[in-house]
Amino acid sequence: MGDQNVLTVNGLYKNIKSVCKFVAEGARNAGFNEDDTFRIELACDEACTNIIEHAYGGENKGSIRAEWSATPSYFVILLHDNGRSFNPSKIPNPPEKPQNIDDLKIGGLGLHFIKKIMDDVAFTFGESGNTLTMKKKR
Amino acid sequence: MTISSQTSTHNISHISVTGRLDQSQVKALEAAIQHAIEQEGNNIIVDLSDTNYINSGGLRCLVTGWRNAKQQHHNLVLCGLNSRLQEIFEMVGFDQVFTIYSNPDSAIDKLA
Repeated sequence: MGDQNVLTVNGLYKNIKSVCKFVAEGARNAGFNEDDTFRIELACDEACTNIIEHAYGGENKGSIRAEWSATPSYFVILLHDNGRSFNPSKIPNPPEKPQNIDDLKIGGLGLHFIKKIMDDVAFTFGESGNTLTMKKKR
Repeated sequence: MTISSQTSTHNISHISVTGRLDQSQVKALEAAIQHAIEQEGNNIIVDLSDTNYINSGGLRCLVTGWRNAKQQHHNLVLCGLNSRLQEIFEMVGFDQVFTIYSNPDSAIDKLA
């Protein structure tokens, strides 16, 4: 393993920016340019938003532990929470080419962004909580 | 991060979003769109020229605003997306369904 860093915040929307900033710093250290760092921040934002909205069912109901590390091949982000687990395969992908706004499905957008931006996305659920692992090739 | 709105001489409501369009601004934008829907004109421009970030919460807010506007026979368009916002819209195909102008002047020219 290479460098590793950990940050724990209370599950509030206003704290998401701190998590993104913390992860962005790691991404820059790992050699990503500003465009890629921006994309990684978006994935991180969406993942934290999902934790607050879906795992905890609202703000201020638990913490989010963020951890990043850099291996020779990947930049790795782990996000851990103690909320409800969910089945990611049950979240429908929004249509790739929506025809009009009336038909637009606006659920599942966050997970869609995460999958588009990151190279590897995995969820684990256990007694000690839920962990989302997101990897981006360096 | 601010939301400001004004009504032009052509009865076009012009809403500008500055900074990040995420959960922190969604309620203010919803209120600004609702206020615009209640105005006399039937065109609403949401100007993202000074918006440097948008996430799924911001996108959902725009979709809801568009639908509410349409229900009241209003037309909601967007303008001024920078390349990063454009990429985010493209990732989910929103660039294909919203009417998007390159800047506020071209939006006003089309709608006036």
